Amino acid sequence: MRWIRCFLLIVSLVVLQTALFTSLRVFDTGPDLLLVATIAVAYERGAEAGAVFGFVGGLAIDCFLSSPLGVSALTFALVGYGVGVFQSGLIRSSRWMAPVLGGIGGLVGGMVWVLIAALAGQEDLFVAGTLRTLVIAAGYDALVAFLIFPFARWACGDHDLAHR
Amino acid sequence: MAVYRRESRRRPIIALIVITSLALISLDRGGNGAIATVRHAARDAIAPVQGVVQDAFHPVSNVFDGVTKVDGLEAENAKLRSRVSTLEGKLSRERGVGEEYSQLARLLDIPDVEDVTGVVARVIGGPAGNFERTLTLNKGTSQGVVVGMPIVAGDGLVGKVTDASRTRATVTLIDNPGLGVGVRTEQSREQAVTQGRSGDKLLRLSFIGNPRTKIAEGELVFTAGVEGAAYPPDVPVARVVKIDRQRGELDPDIFVEPLVDLDKLVFVKALRWPPRTSSPAGDTGTGS
Repeated sequence: MRWIRCFLLIVSLVVLQTALFTSLRVFDTGPDLLLVATIAVAYERGAEAGAVFGFVGGLAIDCFLSSPLGVSALTFALVGYGVGVFQSGLIRSSRWMAPVLGGIGGLVGGMVWVLIAALAGQEDLFVAGTLRTLVIAAGYDALVAFLIFPFARWACGDHDLAHR
Repeated sequence: MAVYRRESRRRPIIALIVITSLALISLDRGGNGAIATVRHAARDAIAPVQGVVQDAFHPVSNVFDGVTKVDGLEAENAKLRSRVSTLEGKLSRERGVGEEYSQLARLLDIPDVEDVTGVVARVIGGPAGNFERTLTLNKGTSQGVVVGMPIVAGDGLVGKVTDASRTRATVTLIDNPGLGVGVRTEQSREQAVTQGRSGDKLLRLSFIGNPRTKIAEGELVFTAGVEGAAYPPDVPVARVVKIDRQRGELDPDIFVEPLVDLDKLVFVKALRWPPRTSSPAGDTGTGS
């Protein structure tokens, strides 16, 4: 059941990313919905779940990007793993955790994506304009985290303390 | 004990994910057909749902645009009125010259962009990511839009089709880093290549044939149309807006602005180029 909900979450976010948020851009920049969802899943369920969700979600959005297939998959998996490893030390009850994680995770994830994409042959990414785009995207990610974290919590189902 | 089991299980999983991702990247870079098939299937599968979502949220997009772009509208309106009156004057002056050229072109059987047929398509989406400049069209291979077709709008060149599934096509815009367009300048007819830059709407004019050629601000650049080119000749591309001579007179940095507003396209035309009477040109991936 949990896997079905995660699958539905991924499909929904891919549709929103490609159909809605291509129009809702701020300074020509949009949020990375699946990256934020990966961070949310890693926060809820730990490193392993974060890595797997990030890999599948990244693969899904890679189908709609012109960058090589696997760049987002690898990026989101690494970010999900990293957030999952460190999440045990985080405050659980703060309502600001979602935007803080979404923003910082979005910025770090964006940087990792640029690095991997450059290694995979994407041209001209190490310019000043890229840093500006990363910062704006991170801010947007922090904003959408308010909406995505509850859905990710629903998709993850009940907490299983044995998995932490 | 539980902690040790968790850690030992995580490492193989993350290792497997990393290896699989690297393998996929390598395969896609190598042009693997199976990966392209998967991509096209995903795009075609999700296309009907995308259409419903876009229609449902169209009012939201309009409100969002109205809020985020209102400041620029008045200035743009004034700029456009000025350009229209300048162009109307130029059109009148060039009518005589244009007619003579048309007669000569017909006599010499020179192909012209006006003679090229194509497929009109609607722009239904922008880039899904933040580091690419692409558009999605509502037509694909089943409606005659194939990879390599040049894309034009009323004012000039837009880009090139770089991916096409059965019902959707992806256009890479001329300001996308990595897509160069072979051009010639208006006055001196010097050949060069435009290059997009990440996070910047201006294109750099590079590989200028003769760096000592005087190129002035305001000058237009058109597609060069050399033999085997990916684009028809003489399609307007951009206007020179900045010349930076910090590195010296012989090596200026010349920046051009696309004539087409690439963020406000609704309808575009995919050209069947080269015309079917000649053999198709190879797609070099960087234009010419």
